Amino acid sequence: MNTTHALRAVRRTLLPALSLAALCAAVATAQAADIDVSDARLSILPGDTPGAGYFTLHNASDETISLVGAESPAFEAVEVHESMEHDGMMHMHELEAVEVEPGASIEFAPKGHHLMLMRRTQEVNVGDEVDVTLRFADDTTLPVTFDVVSPTAL
Amino acid sequence: MRRLWLPIVATLCLAGCSDDPSWRTTDITEIMPPLDFALIDDDGEAVTAEAYRGKTTLVYFGYTQCPDVCPITLARLGSVINQLDEDVRDEVQVLFVSVDPGRDTPEVLKRYVGAFGPEFTGLTGEREDIDALTNRYRIAYEYEEPNEYGDYIVNHSSAIFAFDEEGHAQFLARDSHSPQDILGDLRTLISKS
Repeated sequence: MNTTHALRAVRRTLLPALSLAALCAAVATAQAADIDVSDARLSILPGDTPGAGYFTLHNASDETISLVGAESPAFEAVEVHESMEHDGMMHMHELEAVEVEPGASIEFAPKGHHLMLMRRTQEVNVGDEVDVTLRFADDTTLPVTFDVVSPTAL
Repeated sequence: MRRLWLPIVATLCLAGCSDDPSWRTTDITEIMPPLDFALIDDDGEAVTAEAYRGKTTLVYFGYTQCPDVCPITLARLGSVINQLDEDVRDEVQVLFVSVDPGRDTPEVLKRYVGAFGPEFTGLTGEREDIDALTNRYRIAYEYEEPNEYGDYIVNHSSAIFAFDEEGHAQFLARDSHSPQDILGDLRTLISKS
């Protein structure tokens, strides 16, 4: 279940003058950030309730990266959220950006940072895989496959 | 506009609250009244607290549009219950009381709590009836401003209240208490019954 995505953020550079082959080569050399996402799980319940995305993100690059959003074809909207307890109350709020320093990792985990995935555009069931694209402040993106799980499995 | 429905009375244990050595969580036997409510269950039936006498009862307040804290809390409670001996598991029930009756209909609640196990029942109702219960246990909740789609976040108490089979308040578990502490206290409570 702990699929490791050793994926690299690909800079969305527009190079219209280049051929496709040349573009691929250019993209390959434009991998500014090495970002590893592992243990990507999407917690879901029956009904049209929002899901929660959990994962570990490691910034193997030598620059600070900033996660600013995410999209998924299976949901109308995805937001970066944080839950926290304050004076016995559980609060949840949206985060504009989550920074990760060079060499550092951040865990999106239950009752802390998580993706909130809202309004399903298709059926999503435990056992499925859902594609989510993480978006960073420098306009790079990172596709990640999430395993759909029940919260009882977390 | 941020509507605060109740003053936040979160510091439950400022006075009169002791850490009874018999509980690993917080003792509320002296400070909280017996379980009492008139709500709607997840079959759409009007119910009162008397209907839930006869079992050790855990009560948690939340809402189904909560993606993280509520499912995780309920899942961990389900896991705690599954660690009880099989012959006493039937003696425990969990009541999930919605603080978001506008979205949490009986149908929505039934589908939601069903994912956690047969011990779970969803309760909703009129706002004034829910508020009567949250006021009784000094629970606060508040609605945040809706977004462009009309979705809104509800901030709410993290407390889990435990009652004995006669509905008398026993202990209160916070987010900071471990599942092992809750399991230990649950075993103690069941053995007292």
